[in-house]
Amino acid sequence: MKRDLISIEDLSLRKILEFLDLARRIEGMPLAERAHLLDGRLLGVLFFEPSTRTRLSFEAAMLRLGGRTIGFSEVASTSVAKGESLSDTIRTVEQYCDAIVIRHPREGAARLAAEVSRLPVINAGDGANQHPTQTLLDLYTLQHLFGRIDGLRIALVGDLKYSRTVHSLVHALAKFSGIEFVLVSPESLRLPEYVKAVPEGRLQARETTDLNEAIATCDAIYMTRIQRERFPDPLEYEKVKDSYLLDRAALRRAKPHLKVLHPLPRVNEIAPDVDATPHAAYFPQVGYGLIMRQAILASLLGGMS
Amino acid sequence: MSPEEKVLLIPKIENGFVIDHIPAGAGGRLLHLMQRHREFDNVLITLGQHYSSRRLGRKDLLKIQANELPSRFLQHLALLMPGVTVKRIRDFKVAEKVVMETPDLVHEILRCPNPNCITNHERGMGTTFHLVERETKTFRCNHCERHFTQTALTATLNI
Ligand SMILES: [Zn+2]
Repeated sequence: MKRDLISIEDLSLRKILEFLDLARRIEGMPLAERAHLLDGRLLGVLFFEPSTRTRLSFEAAMLRLGGRTIGFSEVASTSVAKGESLSDTIRTVEQYCDAIVIRHPREGAARLAAEVSRLPVINAGDGANQHPTQTLLDLYTLQHLFGRIDGLRIALVGDLKYSRTVHSLVHALAKFSGIEFVLVSPESLRLPEYVKAVPEGRLQARETTDLNEAIATCDAIYMTRIQRERFPDPLEYEKVKDSYLLDRAALRRAKPHLKVLHPLPRVNEIAPDVDATPHAAYFPQVGYGLIMRQAILASLLGGMS
Repeated sequence: MSPEEKVLLIPKIENGFVIDHIPAGAGGRLLHLMQRHREFDNVLITLGQHYSSRRLGRKDLLKIQANELPSRFLQHLALLMPGVTVKRIRDFKVAEKVVMETPDLVHEILRCPNPNCITNHERGMGTTFHLVERETKTFRCNHCERHFTQTALTATLNI
């Protein structure tokens, strides 16, 4: 049976650990060998909305494994713009390639693509719903930085109400043992109750509006951007925006091993003076993301088991 | 003769179905739903309202002179009015009796309330909802993965 990667909700802890293990093996593999894992394979990269960062990561991952890619990065010049259904686009493109990566502004689009296609389908973001490769690369980054995920104390900071990245990460981390969450957000952007109600039971979580408290006690801080559009009252935004700004001065109270992660792009929530500190892990995170996407491609395209 | 049996006798049907234990006042809504199922176009249906019931105090009931009830209708019924009883009548007697329960799976009959769900944009595409919590009657859309209460889901039926 073909395998897809559509939603982090579909993955058991065992499956997640398999991806982490595969990523580690790929990272340890001699370059000469790694560069031919997917020789002769073709990946369809279908971006129905622009997301340059994610697209480049998938394309680099495929090319560096010896495979090739075709696709589009927005729909303006495609048959989709003429009103073609998603099913028809998928059934056409699948005649050309060996697997499909899809990014789409509508929730559930990747699931539909997986249903109509005989090829493995990877979800690179479906509206506000899922972005499972981001979650897997976040986990791989944590694993890499700390040698483990179990037992970490992790702060999630910023817009915890609407951030798809945060919701998926919470659900994935809840599958590990002994994770202590510190949820740092303005009152109006707190993590919704339905996200806290994970299948594993209640989260071990502390909620606060104070970023400094998290800095002093956590192993990792996962920053997200607070978007102005989320606030009905612009004054309200002005009041909170600077409370979630991380700079070098604020990090003086951090544990020496504290690492700062961010899904990027950052705007002003992490000051540039943090970049040169040993705490900054957001650019290495991009590199681990490349490895994780290679692992996902190798796994789904059968280059490695 | 028990009060329950008396109720079933007026007007007696020889073969067909009785939908019983409908909350009082909801029978009209159910009749309205049935009018949206073409299979009932030429079927004799009698609505009884405000019968006394030991269980509900007052109840409505519907008598339907048809050989079968369409499965789409039964799905709608289970979703809208869990707790009602469907009785199959043969030779004036109750031959079979089923209490409708909130279904575990609702396939193809509802629209997803999330306007950005792909099911609302892809031509000819159906929906699937899974019951994720029976107590609160919460369902999850198979595609957009959002959770909806039974009330939010049936609101899209527009009856
Ligand atoms: Zn939906």
